[in-house]
Parts: sequence; C-alpha cells; structure tokens
Amino acid sequence: MKDEIDMPGGPACWIVAAGIMVGLLVLAVRLERVQIDSAADSRRRMAVQSERRVQTDAPRGRILARGGAVLAENRLAVSIAVNAESFQKRTWSDTAAKIREAIDAASAIVGRPSPVTDREIMRHLKQALARPLVVWRDIGPDELARFSEHELDLPGFVALEREERVYPNGSLAAHLVGYVGRDRAESVAGDEAFRYYDMEMRGRSGAEYYYDGYLRGVPGEKRLLVDARGFAHDETTIVEAKRGPDLELALDVGVQSVAEAQLAGHKGACVVMDAASGEILAFASAPAYNPNDFVPILRQAVYDGLSRDPAKPLLNRASGGTYAPGSTFKPLTALAAIHQGISPHFAYECIGYYQCGQMKIRCSRTWGHGPENVMTALRDSCNPYFCYLGAAVGTNAVIAAARAFGLGAKTGLDFPTDAAGVVPDDAWKREKYNERWFPGDLAQMSMGQGMLLATPLQMARVAGAIGTGLLATPRLIAGLPPEFSPVPFTETELGFVREGMRMVVAGGTGRKGAENVDAWVIGKTGTAEVGVGAGRRKNTWFIAYAETCAHGADGSPRRMTCPERRIAVAMVVENGESGGGTTAPKVCEVLKHVFGTLAPEQAEGGAQ
Amino acid sequence: MNVLRRINWVQVVAMLMLVAIGTTCIWSAGNAREAVFHGMWKANLQTAALGLAIYALLAWADYRKVLQWVSLPAYAGALVLLVAVLLLGSEIYGGKRWLWFFQPSEISKLCIIAFLAQVYGMKEPPAWLRSIGGFGLGCALFGVPALLVLMEPDLGTALALAPAFLVILLAGRIWRRGITVLLVAGALAAAALLGAVHEAERPGVTPDRRETILKYVPLKPHQLKRVKTFLYPDTDPAGAGYTIRQAMIAIGSGGFAGKGIGKGETNSLKYLPPSVSMNDFIFCVYAEETGFVGSLVLLSLFATLCVSCAWIAWGASDTRGRLFALGFATLLFAHVYVNVGMSVGLVPITGLPLPFISSGRTFLLTVMAGLGITQSISIHKEEET
Repeated sequence: MKDEIDMPGGPACWIVAAGIMVGLLVLAVRLERVQIDSAADSRRRMAVQSERRVQTDAPRGRILARGGAVLAENRLAVSIAVNAESFQKRTWSDTAAKIREAIDAASAIVGRPSPVTDREIMRHLKQALARPLVVWRDIGPDELARFSEHELDLPGFVALEREERVYPNGSLAAHLVGYVGRDRAESVAGDEAFRYYDMEMRGRSGAEYYYDGYLRGVPGEKRLLVDARGFAHDETTIVEAKRGPDLELALDVGVQSVAEAQLAGHKGACVVMDAASGEILAFASAPAYNPNDFVPILRQAVYDGLSRDPAKPLLNRASGGTYAPGSTFKPLTALAAIHQGISPHFAYECIGYYQCGQMKIRCSRTWGHGPENVMTALRDSCNPYFCYLGAAVGTNAVIAAARAFGLGAKTGLDFPTDAAGVVPDDAWKREKYNERWFPGDLAQMSMGQGMLLATPLQMARVAGAIGTGLLATPRLIAGLPPEFSPVPFTETELGFVREGMRMVVAGGTGRKGAENVDAWVIGKTGTAEVGVGAGRRKNTWFIAYAETCAHGADGSPRRMTCPERRIAVAMVVENGESGGGTTAPKVCEVLKHVFGTLAPEQAEGGAQ
Repeated sequence: MNVLRRINWVQVVAMLMLVAIGTTCIWSAGNAREAVFHGMWKANLQTAALGLAIYALLAWADYRKVLQWVSLPAYAGALVLLVAVLLLGSEIYGGKRWLWFFQPSEISKLCIIAFLAQVYGMKEPPAWLRSIGGFGLGCALFGVPALLVLMEPDLGTALALAPAFLVILLAGRIWRRGITVLLVAGALAAAALLGAVHEAERPGVTPDRRETILKYVPLKPHQLKRVKTFLYPDTDPAGAGYTIRQAMIAIGSGGFAGKGIGKGETNSLKYLPPSVSMNDFIFCVYAEETGFVGSLVLLSLFATLCVSCAWIAWGASDTRGRLFALGFATLLFAHVYVNVGMSVGLVPITGLPLPFISSGRTFLLTVMAGLGITQSISIHKEEET
C-alpha cells in the first residue's frame, strides 16, 4: 500500500462501490413496489388469464310416486371424450389434424364412427380448449367394454360420466311427470360469469317444469388452470355440486295405471283426487307419449310426429283440456235452485222438450219423463227440468254456484298447466261475441252446455266438493297441508243433490258398473254435444264421489260418520256414446281398484 | 497460510451461493419447457464446475503475468471471433451471436476489460496516455469491438460494457474532460432519443408527425418497439408488451414470500415465453417463486460480489489490478441492473443475461474467469514484481 499516493483510482473504488449500492437500492425499491404494493393486482391479473370457472352439473332429484315407485330418475350415461392437451402441436390446424387422427384410430377400436366433424374439432380448440371434447355421447356397454380394454392404447381419451334423465315407467303419468331438456346453465352465485358449463338439465313440462328449481340441486364449481395457449393443466373443485332432493308425488301408480288402462284407445282424461286432502292420485291424459323419447335430446322427427298427430298426444287433457261439462254440471244448477228457496221436491213435468223462446231444447227421453223433482231429475238427467230451474233462479244464481265450485278459475294446482275454463256471463259474451246474454244461453248453461267449459281436474274438484262440502285445492305432492274453501251451501242443500247423484249410480244413468264397487258412490253422467253437422261429436263424462262405507244387513252401502277414504273422480272420453254407457263403467273400474269389489250377492243388494 | 488469509472468502461464498440459486432457477424454468431442457440444470452445474476450475487457476496464477501476457492476444482473439461470428455465426432469434458452441460477445466483455486495465495500468505510463491521446486510444480499443457487437446486433453487451469502460478511464485518471464530454453527450443522446420516441408514439399523434420524428431516430424497428413498450407498457399487451406484462405479473404475483420453488405459475404455464424464461427473463422465474425476500437475498449477493471486487480494487497493489477489479465490478453491476431493471420495467428490454442465474455457458465461464482474476488480485496484492 506504500505507493498508494501515486496510484490512481483510490477514491474511484469508493465511488464505484457507492454507485453500485445506490443502483441495487433503486432495484430493491422498485421490487418492493412490484412485489409488495401491487402483488394483489398481479395475482388478480394472473388469475384472470390462467383460471377458468367451470360449472359442474348437480344430479337432478328423482320424482317418486306415493310409496316410492320411481317415475323419473337418472341413469349414468358414459361418453368418451378426448383431451386436446395430449395432442399439442405448434399450430392449431396440426393439433386438430392430430386429434382427428386419434379419433379415427379410436373409432376402429370402439367400433362406431364418431359424429365429430373437423369443423367441430377446430371450434372446440378455439372455444373450449381446456375442456374435453365429447367424441361419442352415451355409448353402449359393449362399446364401453372395448374402450376400457384398449384405454391404454388411446392416450388422451377419457370416459366421462354424466347423468341423463330416464322415466322407468315410460308413458305412465307422462303428462303429469313431464320431461326435461337441456339448456344453457344459469350462473350460480358469484359475479364473474362461468367460462364453461355443461348444458344443464331443465324441466320443460309437467312436474319436472313446475318443480324444476326444487329438483335441480345446486351446481358446483371447478377451476381449471390453463396455460398460455389455453390447454388445461389442473383442476380444483371449489364447490361440490349438490344433488337435488327427491320429489314425492301423491300419485298412486296403481290407480294411475287403471285409469290409463281405461282410457287406452280413447282420447280423454281422468283425474282421481283424494277429496279429503286435495292430493291427486291419478292424472291421466290419453293418448300419451313416452317421455324417454325426449331425452337426452328430442329428435325433430319424434317431435314432428307428436305435434302433428291429430290425437294431440302432447296435450294434457286432464288439466289443460277444456270441455263442456254437459250434464255433470246439473248438480250445481240444482244447488243454485235449492239455495234460492226452490223446494227440492218441487215437481215439474217433463214433456220431452223445453221451450225457450223460439228454441226447443230436447230431453234425452223424447216422450218426456213426466213429473220430476230435483233427485229424480238428476237420476234421469232430465234436460227440461234443469232448464226450468235455471230460468227460475236466474243467470246470476247459476253462475254463482259454478264459481263457488271453482269453475272458470284456475284450480291452484302446483302444475304448469291449469286451464281456467269458462263460466260465461253477459259481460263475457259481449266481449267475446259482441252479443247480449239471451235466455237460451241460461238454459244451455243450466244443463252444462253452451259456452261453459271445464277441465276434468275442475270437475273432479266439483265431485269432491259435493261429497264433502269443501272445495279442495288440488295438490300434486304428498304431505302438504291441505287447503279448502267451504262451498256456500248447507249440508241439507248438498244432501238433496247427493241423494239425486246416489240415485244416478243406484239405478239411474250411471248405474252401469257401479253396482259392485265396495263404496258409497254418488255420481253424475254427462254427454256433451260439440260441433255441428258432420263434426258433431259427443264428449262423454262421468264424475263421481266415493267414500268407504259400512254395509247394511242386505249388504247395501251405508255412509259412515268418518269414512277412511274420500275419493273424487272425473273422467271425460272424447267421441263416446254416452256418459252412462261409455264413461261411467270406466270410472267404476277405477273406483273398484281403490275400494275393492263387492261380492255378487252383496252387489245385488246394493243395486236396489 | 498467507495465501489462505489473503483469499477473499466473501467473494467465494457469494459466488457459490449464486451458482446454487442459478442452478435451481434453471431447473425450474427448464421443467416448464420441452424435455430437452429438463436436464439443463445439470449442464449448468458441470459448467459451474469447469468455471470453478478456471476460477481457481486464475486466482492461483499471478494476475500481473496473466494480464501482461494474455490480455493482448485475448483482445486480438476476441476481435477475430467477433468478426468471425458476423461471417460464420448461426442466426438465432434474428441475431448472429453464436459461433459453434459459444457466444464470442460474452468472452469479449472480459477480454476488453482485461486489455483496457493492462493498457491504462502499466507501471510507468507515457504522458500521452493520461491525456487526449490515451482517451482516443481507449475510445478506439472500446469502440471497435463495441461496434462489432452492435452489428450482431447485441445492443445489451455494448451498453453493459460502456460503464465499465468509463469507470476504467475515470479510475485511471485519463483526460477527465473527455470523459465528462462523453458522459454528457451520452446522457443528452439518451434523453433526446427517449424524448423523441415518447413524442412520436404518444397516443393521438398524427402518422405524419410520427414519421417525421422517427426519421431522426437511429433505431432499428425492433429496438424502437422495445423503447416504445418501455415508455408505454400497456399499449400492446398481446404483442410487443406481452413479455414485459407477463414479467411484471410473474414478479408481482410472487408477493412477499413467493409461491415456492418450482411452483411459479407464470413460468410453468408458459405465460412467460419459454424462449426467454431461462435467459433474459429468468429473474421473473426466481422472483415469482421466492418473492420479495428472495429478490432481496439475490440483490444482496450481487451487492456482496460487486463490493468485494471494489474492496479488492481498493486494496490492489497496482493500478492494473485496481482498474481490472473496478471495471469488472462495474460490468457485473451493469448486467444485474439492466437485467433486473428490464424485468421490472425500469429499463427498456435489452437482451442481457443475469450473471450466474441465466443459463448460458459462455457467460457463466466468462464471469467466473473474471472473478478468478479479481481473486488473484486479492491473493497477489503483497507480492512485488
């Protein structure tokens, strides 16, 4: 160090060292800014570019009938998909070509050509690169077996499981259960939109539609980590999908099957309701369709076939088909009259027709029933009697009775199809036909014809309300607290009508088939004429109320104070012969299923 | 015993730690790349072993003899190689930097500093060497290879060498007026260049005006793009600004403590372009995985290394040793500053490796050789020749 004095650069050492330290300090300060102050922002930017939210399907809840019979459930559908990241090439078109090659190779093994086109591959690479591309949807067990055997030779291919809806009972209660389709998923909680989702199962009709939100469950969330080119690297489940709960319907598969069997080959509908709770036990509409044809995708040809069928199998006649109730309305006219003070024993002579101004309304017995009272008129379904009653009490009283029994309004059924039908009045007619209300309209309405329209569901409620005095809100699902509104008629008033309707099945128009039902049954037939000229047809009705009964010494049914079961039924058959001839026996078959059959000797006594 | 006491152990320890960190970073960055690069960390260790041998050899040898006998041929050889690489070099990423298996420009860094130290540190220098003549000579000695390097084009190497050149001239007390002029001119030129590009690329400038300004800016298109990206980093996030954007995301998302070694996502998911993640932008890989703590550790190690060189310079027994050590310290620092600075947006992007951390055999060997010479200066400071 002795020649330091004449050695240049001594201070330079310190200057250089200080300069270097300052420079490194500048870097450190800058790094503090980048790594501490804006760390959160950088992490967010990293997440934006590398994370993709994926919504995962929640398995849909099953639909069960009373007692656990399965109406709709899920089956595991296996698809084979290919992951693009196994075929990465420098260019997208090379990658696509490589995938094509692999798919073709796999086709040979699986034994089915893939429907995936080159364009779809390219589109997949551009839009959903990070997700597997489905090559074969819903493969069969043989194909799956071949695939599994060769899985090691097919790198990049995976078997994906997905739930598909299946209706194990086929067309049973098809209109009630409904069907599902697949649709874009609705994003679950969270403000950022999902990048990817599977087309979600969504109820399209029936209970599947009405209870969609309940059955659907809660979708889960996955996060895919993607690289700079968009290929998937890693996935984390953020939220596990939650299976939707099962929906238990009040529907009784046995009753439903009988009702459908009775309607087989016909067009029509049948609703069986527990009058004590409003629960729907059967809800049949014929012809029906097989909802399994609708999943996983409704093919255009199938849909066209169904929608163009003149028998309209897609129409839900039970709660969506509106028909003139015909004579099944007559008990309500009777109630209106009795309520207005007309004695049920008031006698009116049926001469075979009723003269209403210029119009002659004929009775079914052309030579006339002779003198009738309310009960016998119901038994004989005498038209002039009810035309007279209607005229005697006036339009408003009849309308009030119709409304009191829930006609002309939605029933409140927990179901998407709930037609209100029509209870016409002056205002309605002016609105619709620009015509005033004529006495003839009242006469027609009094016997359930004319512009009056009701659904089988509504008529089942009417039957139940006559039997119990309480108008029940119909329910698809079991175990809900029942809802009733009392009808504004006294038990005595209802008693006369019940007596008349008891006579209907005990020897009147509805006696056919009723004799050996092990229950106390009241009913009313109806034969509504629709159309004119060559299109003239008859829709034949039967509504009934039945309850568990005791038996008298002769075996005849006796009402109990607290009957175990109270059932209301309404059935309509289009183009029938007559309510008593066509429909009543079918309804009685349903009742027999519910209440059982009387032994022949008992039946004889009961028929008297 | 004397020798062991004179060894600058701080430098040895800092160097070995840097080799370890570098190898880890190369392992991590290589894993994100094609299979060929997965074993790159082993190659780095082998190179480091070779470098250590060279380091030991040069530390053991008397630097005076080395500089005296080797620096001139080395300098001449470097010139030849720099010319050769222009003629015969293989072109990678638009630049001719590779001659067979090495990069002549990396070697030339050491050769130029060594030769400058030898020239200005001679024992009884003639008077002209301390005045304008010496200044001119220095400009020529530095200018010719710098020009050749610029032709590759390798702006980074030329820029990293310039401060070392200036420091050698300054410490050697060579015509200060010239150095001042050079510094002022350089600063003015840089300011004018940045100002012009800033104005020309300002959003909303008419194309005519832009053309007019850029006519006077002596930058190649890709250099212009880099300067523009530096000044306006957010203008083209998918194109020119992509790398710097991803670099900032990588470093920033490392946060305080980092994501863990081998767990850097920006790197493993290839958002940071794999073509630069092992070389010019390897600091991002490191900073993402080790966070601010790791960054500080690395900067401290570089500080230790640079200061150890300055310390050796201060204690050197002759001018040539002092000039070499100071020049080499400056060279190291310039690399660290430019490399880390460009990763965090302080400096425009210039391709310059981070000593010990970037994967590059030539540069690693060059740096270790340089450090070996400084170690020799420390070991041989008491000996007279």
